[in-house]
Amino acid sequence: MSWGYFIRRLFAVVLVLAIVTFAVFAITTVLPGNAAIMILGEYATPEAVAALERQLRLDQPWHVQYLTWISGIARGDFGMSLRLSLPVTQVVGEAFVNSAVLAATALVTVTVIAIPLGALAAIKRGTAIDLALGLFSYLGTSLPEFVTATLLLVFLAAPNTGPFPAGGYVAPWESLAGFGAHVALPAATLGLILMAHIARQVRSEMSEVLSSDYIRAARLKGLSERRVIRRHALPNSMAPAVAVISLDIGYLLGGIIVVEEIFAWPGLGRLLIYALENRDLPVIQAVTLLLATVYALSNLLSDIVIALLDPRVRYA
Amino acid sequence: MTSLAPNVIEAAAEKQKPALSIRNYSLAYNTLNGPVSALKNIDLTIGKGQTVGLVGESGSGKSSMAWSIMRYLPPNALETGGAIRLAGEELLDYTPRQMADIRGRRMSMVFQDPSTSLNPTIRLGEQIAEVLMRHQGLTAAQAWVEAEAALARTGITRPKEMLRRFPHEASGGEKQRVVIATAFACEPELIIFDEPTTALDILTARQILDLFNRLREETNVSALYISHDLGLVSRVVDEVSVIHRGAIVESGSVAQVFRRPTDAYTRHLIGAVPNPDRWIGVERPSHPESLIRLEKIGVRYNSPSLFQKLFKPAAAEKSTFWGARDVSLDIRKGELLGVVGESGSGKSTIAKVLAGLEDFEGNLDVGGKALTSRKEIDRAYRRNVQIVFQHPDASLNPRQKIGTIIGRPLKLYGIVPRDKITARVAELLEMVRLPADYANRHPHQLSGGEKQRVAIARAFAAEPSLVICDEVTAALDVSVQAAVADLLVKLQKDTGTACVFITHDLNLIRQLAHRIAVMQHGRLVDFFDRDDARADDRHPYTKALLDAVPVQEAVEAQN
Repeated sequence: MSWGYFIRRLFAVVLVLAIVTFAVFAITTVLPGNAAIMILGEYATPEAVAALERQLRLDQPWHVQYLTWISGIARGDFGMSLRLSLPVTQVVGEAFVNSAVLAATALVTVTVIAIPLGALAAIKRGTAIDLALGLFSYLGTSLPEFVTATLLLVFLAAPNTGPFPAGGYVAPWESLAGFGAHVALPAATLGLILMAHIARQVRSEMSEVLSSDYIRAARLKGLSERRVIRRHALPNSMAPAVAVISLDIGYLLGGIIVVEEIFAWPGLGRLLIYALENRDLPVIQAVTLLLATVYALSNLLSDIVIALLDPRVRYA
Repeated sequence: MTSLAPNVIEAAAEKQKPALSIRNYSLAYNTLNGPVSALKNIDLTIGKGQTVGLVGESGSGKSSMAWSIMRYLPPNALETGGAIRLAGEELLDYTPRQMADIRGRRMSMVFQDPSTSLNPTIRLGEQIAEVLMRHQGLTAAQAWVEAEAALARTGITRPKEMLRRFPHEASGGEKQRVVIATAFACEPELIIFDEPTTALDILTARQILDLFNRLREETNVSALYISHDLGLVSRVVDEVSVIHRGAIVESGSVAQVFRRPTDAYTRHLIGAVPNPDRWIGVERPSHPESLIRLEKIGVRYNSPSLFQKLFKPAAAEKSTFWGARDVSLDIRKGELLGVVGESGSGKSTIAKVLAGLEDFEGNLDVGGKALTSRKEIDRAYRRNVQIVFQHPDASLNPRQKIGTIIGRPLKLYGIVPRDKITARVAELLEMVRLPADYANRHPHQLSGGEKQRVAIARAFAAEPSLVICDEVTAALDVSVQAAVADLLVKLQKDTGTACVFITHDLNLIRQLAHRIAVMQHGRLVDFFDRDDARADDRHPYTKALLDAVPVQEAVEAQN
């Protein structure tokens, strides 16, 4: 892979993140409406408002506020949570780890299952298997996550009888079995939609590749079907699937907010909802910025993977 | 003696068994409207070391024949009898697994377009080596060594380096050499060449043909050479079969088929091959009068971005690609100007500049007024200069009826009153020799040649003074091509419109054009009167192009 390509992509990511910090800052700080009053309520005394303004540095011009904020971030200091009396870094850090564990579990499971399923559907195009997978995909994409979550809860986590707990969290390094039980339903909820999405993408891409001239040429060389599929067809169908997966990370970051709330999973989503309800500005800023960073970096990662899969991209 | 005879005959037959023999073979495809016949009672024999040409136009069944021999048929194919024998062995009896062992080892194939028949994400070396690993049980390392040798035999100068490349890092000719090396790798008994030069430039095609002839002599392989191009086939084959609507209408040696064709369709096909010495164009305008003059026209693609200009000015200048540079020529009223060049030579870029579709540098002189940028091109100019594109499928809106398509410029430029449009569309259809009731059809109900006529009718509807024809015959069969060329000449005669005819077909252009411009790498390298085509002071590139055109046999046959 050429370094120029990588550096150009990295430059784009940095640019995007710079714009994001600005947007996050602008929305929470500069927009009309005094943040201190929003936090304290309409009936706060002017003294209390002035004190909070000083604490939040709202009395200073906006560019000073921005620079203070951004230089804090550069040192890893997002300020203090207004409600939890803890450093934002600590609050957000814990939640981030929890969310990352959930998202990664969902994503890895989905990828491992969906890609072979999609490929299988393409190879067996028009057969009962393909049809069944197609139907499943439609169901998966058309059900919103709160419906899937409710169904899973009703059927698999009924009080006392269901095999899975209805909510809560156990870290994998504390008890792997406990973690597995707790992560199963939220991961399945997130996964169903992604699975359908990715499997369909792989199927359509794979079908196209399978009908291409070079697959015909490979078969006419007498190559085994196994080699035709694994060496010639699959890698070429993967690049678009990776692009879809990276877009799906965007969806995952949104979906996680709903799913964490339903399953009482102590991650970024729950924290964000809590912070919004309590107008905990530093936490809102940190979480938003973190989500944007994860999204931008996952896009960068997918660009790199695509470039590795398809030599034509590397020099584009 | 009687008891001995069968053995002796069998032994003799064993020796003489042809590489491929097809007997009374028929094929149909199941469709929603019932079975459609694709091949009818085909008889074809290829002796050991012999090359047989299979010539036909699109839809004649020549590709189906190739798939039948390779036993690579779609699920809806229906074989209705006959035999296909490879060295006496009945291929129809083999299981798919047995066939997989034969493909690539005992018979292989070279395809039309090397840019689609090579896997874009696999190094060229692996694509050759995998056949050797599959069929000769070599290890990867051994196979790569063999692959290098195979590639070297195709005349690639640095085969080792080429093996490490991906398809997009090689030129069309290099890629086709890789495909050919792959086909020859396991020393097969039979190779099927399916239009192996159609997707290549004239000069590259010529080299590939020479390579084919050389390898054939070296290896004594038997080959089936499938093509639509009679002139080309005559250069490489010993025997030729002409296929038309799924049936072989004529077979024999090249000389016999070309000199004494017995079948009407063969005669028609031979007659349609453009003969550069037979002039069919309109009379040269009596006093040359300039219509449009191009002065130092340049078109840049891939202009450097602001980022590049700021940070890497040196690289920025390098990344600029000139689609055309310093092109100066004039187009005269009523003439037919031929623009010739290979793909990527800039001939279509010039067409786009003339049609006002491309930003340009330099001047466009129209009737004494100099246009210096695309923005200055006005409505009157656009009406005056019409363009016909290569692919009518892409340039005709599939949702509109033919009447709407042709009526559009009539409405747009107010050429006839609204209530006369239908009548005028009918006239235009008649002008391009199509029935007037085609106005109610959609493009998909027409054949390729008919669609191109519609596109031509639309161009002439605006009553322009210049029509640009950008490779209008390239996608058409030879016989349709001749008819379209005839039609253009007739329209020029009737309307006095000038025409810029862009093509890579030198034979055709020498039949039509008064003057010929030759382009290479975006520059105009030669510009001459048709009569001077063979003059000594022609640019070397022009000479090379003229020499690369395969035509002798077909033309001799016409005379």
